[in-house]
Amino acid sequence: MTRLLRTTFATLLLAAAASAQETVTAYTNATLMPGGKPAISNATMVVSGGKVLAIGGADLKVPEGAKVVDCGGKTITPGLIDASFRSASNQQDLNEQSEEVTPHLRILDNLDPKSPLFERARNHGVTTVHVMPGTRNVIGGLGCVIKTHGDDPKSMVIKEDASLRIVMGAEPSMSNRAIRGGRVNSIYYRRPTTRMGVIWTVRRAFYDAQEQLTKTQGAPDGAPASPGLEVLTQVLQGKLTAVTTARSEQDLRTALRIAEEFGYETVIDEAQDAYMVADELAAKRAVVMLGAPSAESVSGSAGSDGASPRSGTVAVLAAKGIRFVITTGTNRAALPLIREAMFAHRFGLGPQQALDAITIEPAKLLGLDDRIGSLAAGKDADFVIWSHDPLDPAAVAESVHINGKSVSQIR
Amino acid sequence: MNHSLLRLAIVCSTIAIPALGQDLVAVKAKTIHTITGPSVQDGVILLQNGRIKTIAKASEVEIPWSAKVIDASDKIVMPTWVVAHSNGGMRGSNESMQNVPWLTVADAIDPASTFFEEMLRNGVGTIHVLPGNNTLLAGSGMVVRPYGRTVEDMTVAANTGMKMSLLASSGSRLQKIREMRRAIAEVREYLANYQREKAEFEKEQEAGAIPKDKKWEKEIDRKKQAAVDLIEKKLKGWLYVPSFAELDEALRMGKDLDLNLVLGPNLDEANALLTKLKAPVVLDLPLEYFETDPDTREEKQYCSAKMLADAGVPFALSLSGSGPTSHPWWLFGTCVRNGISRQQALEALTMVPAKMLGLEDQVGSLEVGKLGNLQILTGDPLQATTWVDTVVLEGAVVYERSEDPRLQYLFDAAKKATEPQAPKADNQKGEAK
Repeated sequence: MTRLLRTTFATLLLAAAASAQETVTAYTNATLMPGGKPAISNATMVVSGGKVLAIGGADLKVPEGAKVVDCGGKTITPGLIDASFRSASNQQDLNEQSEEVTPHLRILDNLDPKSPLFERARNHGVTTVHVMPGTRNVIGGLGCVIKTHGDDPKSMVIKEDASLRIVMGAEPSMSNRAIRGGRVNSIYYRRPTTRMGVIWTVRRAFYDAQEQLTKTQGAPDGAPASPGLEVLTQVLQGKLTAVTTARSEQDLRTALRIAEEFGYETVIDEAQDAYMVADELAAKRAVVMLGAPSAESVSGSAGSDGASPRSGTVAVLAAKGIRFVITTGTNRAALPLIREAMFAHRFGLGPQQALDAITIEPAKLLGLDDRIGSLAAGKDADFVIWSHDPLDPAAVAESVHINGKSVSQIR
Repeated sequence: MNHSLLRLAIVCSTIAIPALGQDLVAVKAKTIHTITGPSVQDGVILLQNGRIKTIAKASEVEIPWSAKVIDASDKIVMPTWVVAHSNGGMRGSNESMQNVPWLTVADAIDPASTFFEEMLRNGVGTIHVLPGNNTLLAGSGMVVRPYGRTVEDMTVAANTGMKMSLLASSGSRLQKIREMRRAIAEVREYLANYQREKAEFEKEQEAGAIPKDKKWEKEIDRKKQAAVDLIEKKLKGWLYVPSFAELDEALRMGKDLDLNLVLGPNLDEANALLTKLKAPVVLDLPLEYFETDPDTREEKQYCSAKMLADAGVPFALSLSGSGPTSHPWWLFGTCVRNGISRQQALEALTMVPAKMLGLEDQVGSLEVGKLGNLQILTGDPLQATTWVDTVVLEGAVVYERSEDPRLQYLFDAAKKATEPQAPKADNQKGEAK
């Protein structure tokens, strides 16, 4: 009975919020860090219909009849974007084990909009996430971009096929064994079994895709591609972003080499050893995704795949002019994405640069910077009101808004 | 080594090793955070023979000409952090046998471990190293400073207590509690037998059955001595309590033993019990954790430090060897974010752990007569951008950021890449190109 009442109450609240969306709200007296631009003090932001109408200094006129929210000097930032978000608490749910090349799988089919992980991320100011399949397959499948609030995946998704996950290095071959008689029902009886095998598997897949492209060129009614091949041809044609997971120096070089060989561009994910190949990354204008700087020590620790992640990496990337995005990566404890920016700030980034790396930079990487990642007229009203400077470890995300709607009030 | 000798070493211990520092050191600071007293602006700290001699305003003290001067007049000076419970810096911290009270961490500490390096870099001056959490009666710990080439160099106090743990790494919680009770009961039984034999011996001697000049020669089994000390409350126990479920048993054990508790994070269901804690406790990481309501799937975030603060129990914080929780500023930020005062957060890595270790007259604050253990910070200790510039232990500079090769490796390289190139020699006028 109580639950029924609660549900009814929640529905009423939702209805109220929906009608409130049509009204114009002005957030005044805030420090606005709009993303990609310097902060504006004593700023005003006007929001209506889920979009930002205008931002400006104290001189910006509040439209008549607007509801005014005095922020009392608090800080507003765009909603944060996590470009590498783990949607499932269970590894098995992210890695299809039946094959090692599965470009046609979509992480979208695996999403649980009610997963507490979304709520956690939201409570820490994350309003949009890029979710990808796991890193256990050589070619893992399609990633998608979704907002962290909604009742079903469909209402949350803002880009269905956003990326293709490719994995270098030892991880896809980890514990694999060739079948030599005996029990064959183990998931480990599969190939590849070495780093060489992993790279060959990638190469063969793209070779097939290339051949497919040649075959169908000028003949649209040619043999229909298999769903997997079609995805790969999209990467070759530059229609789909490849995200290659490459952690160690060796894997980073291989990732760049394979991309060059087949003529596609790739984002490098979890580039722990990026500082060792900074010049090559700069020359190739590769965009780098760095997971959880907070986890990295000064002295370097043993990372996965033989990498040696170090806290100074962000400083080196920034100095070399390499574009990069900060994510929570594989670190489950890193869900408060703002903390990762805080550590990047400590390790050498300016405050705006650190914040950009979790707002406008990931938006650009995902091709969604016209909607999210910064606060400007016409963009989605996804924003966070922080108790004070969000790069202060004592700061709290006091309220988080998605499409103009408040979606969390914590503590 | 004989155990009673070791015990003697603790008593007169504190610092048995020769002082590290120069005779006279003067540290000039913009702000001195003493922790126990008010902060001093534009102050000077004089250290003599490794101890604090004077803390005063710069205008009120004359720096002797013979003193080595450390100029931090634009920086913040604080006591070094004290960590009351740590399993770091050891090669193998968990013995696979469950009941090994005779072991000591002195045999496992690796002075070359990057753990100590990282601790020093983060401003830690005193670490209580204890065996890991997987063992029932795990052996004795020791207090070290993160500096020195050998365990002896590093030692501040040896035999500082027996590590005990109720963590059920295999089997059930109840089984673990039962095993702990049995382990302690066995020691009690051994001790009772020993004392009875001794009493009988003395009785027979009095009755004349044994010659008067014959002495009682049987010693306590060396493998049992530490556990016997624990039972007789000559040695403290450091009991790891993984969650609320074991807290009741821990409180019961505390009635018979001299225990310090190390609490795991899951405490929300023991909220009512927390007020029963009389002595300060150490909090294990993480400080923040989530609980999901099994019916509604609603998640709630808890902060164990806040729960203890609300229950009025003083607490010390743990520091991990790597990751975000190895940075004191992040832990303090976590406390303040959850509604704990700055001062209480700072005390959790200074005075509270110092008291728990019985070293409150040596470390944990900047006060005249205490050890000259201090750190120079570039800014506020609660800010992400603050770095430890210098660490002084017992009057000696043991860490300088400008000479930290690992920090230089990437950070200086990055700095160089962004700095404008100096004009070449053939462009001596510095004309714009």
